[in-house]
Amino acid sequence: MSRLGSSRELMEWVVRAMRGEAPAFSEIYRRTRPQVARLTAGFAPLDADEVEDVIQETYVRAFRALPRLKEPAAFEAWLLSIARNRARTRLERKGQKRRMDEEISDPQPETASVVPEALQLERDMAVVRQLIAELPEGEEKKTVYLFYVEGQLSAREIAEQLGVGKSAVTMRLERFRARIKQELLRRVLAGRWE
Amino acid sequence: MRHLDTEALRALTTGEPETVAYFREHLAHPCEACMDFLAKTPGPGLLDGQVDALLLHLAPARQEAPRLDEVGYARVRRGLREPARPWSRVAAALAVAAGLAGLVVLTRAQVRPPSEVKGAWDGVKGVGTLALETSVVAREPDGHLRRMDPGGSASDQDVLVLRYHATEAGEALLFQRRADAEPELLGRFPLSAGTHELEGPQGLVGISLEGESGPLTLWLVGFPSAQVPPPEEVREALTHGDMGERPVLAITRFDLHVRGGTGQNPSPR
Repeated sequence: MSRLGSSRELMEWVVRAMRGEAPAFSEIYRRTRPQVARLTAGFAPLDADEVEDVIQETYVRAFRALPRLKEPAAFEAWLLSIARNRARTRLERKGQKRRMDEEISDPQPETASVVPEALQLERDMAVVRQLIAELPEGEEKKTVYLFYVEGQLSAREIAEQLGVGKSAVTMRLERFRARIKQELLRRVLAGRWE
Repeated sequence: MRHLDTEALRALTTGEPETVAYFREHLAHPCEACMDFLAKTPGPGLLDGQVDALLLHLAPARQEAPRLDEVGYARVRRGLREPARPWSRVAAALAVAAGLAGLVVLTRAQVRPPSEVKGAWDGVKGVGTLALETSVVAREPDGHLRRMDPGGSASDQDVLVLRYHATEAGEALLFQRRADAEPELLGRFPLSAGTHELEGPQGLVGISLEGESGPLTLWLVGFPSAQVPPPEEVREALTHGDMGERPVLAITRFDLHVRGGTGQNPSPR
């Protein structure tokens, strides 16, 4: 199934869940959990139990707020934003950088509506592939390629294969991700999504 | 030179023309300071999720559709039933290992004799029959461990740990049922021959009683390896008591009563 096709199908399930159809929730969970799990498992200091906790908390928050989601097409980005925020909050509490009653706030479902058109997503992916291709040959490029392009190995497995610590792998991935985030922000500011 | 910071991000979010124009130019070239800020700072808006979605979809889609993670989804459903809290105490179902590392001897309470709990075997060659017995230990908030008798009561602050004895290796489904509700799947776990605490891939399994009140029933349903039927079928069979027609080798059942509202705040995790 193409990226576009799966996005459309997911959006249809989201609409059904917003109408309160119970089976739609398990279908959304089935379809999106692999991405949420891969995202949260990439946070090096979280152990397997903590990753499962973050995944659970992500879906509980998302499903509770789903009826208020303004734009069904924004669901996946909204869900992944929640997952990243939950993982960050968990990490910061673990490192005692954040009090237990403080947390990173999630994007509000009522305003989570600015999404690129589906076709633009395909173009964005081409841009990301180009940025990967332009990375200088070295450990960062190898790591990014293994994790994001091949997509078969976990951060831990990549660390073992490359003979480095998992934290080194996640730092490389985060650095690359920040580069992509900067590029997308620039494109947003250029009015591409407006 | 100006770099991204909280104030700049706020201005970008509200679309202040000067800030937008400046950073449109500034971000046209890689900027370490801005990248560092973006890496550590959520948003703006859904940008983080959009970036992650893009990156996670770079890999070729798998040929097979992902299977529903029944255990994970059961935890989500459980979480949805709990009241929302200022910070979420995610279900403490897993990872209570710390207080149990010293647990050595527990007398097994035979919930039902093996001869009574065996289900019909479906005749698959090469797989032996499996007898299963369970006992339950309550871990109190102060770490004290207390063996529970069938029909006994526990505090809603306790975490239950299952200890089993299996005559063969296999797998098990763990269900719980509140009062007259439908049995709810809590997880699928490997069984090893001998006496062990119930463990999942992430360690010892604990069942948090927080938020529970009243009668509670636990079932550990054992099967030969690779013969686990769909959990929905097992749930249906537990509900209607027709497990004899299923390829089930062993069912153990444990009833208890949960004393709710004991008034202690949950430990945030």
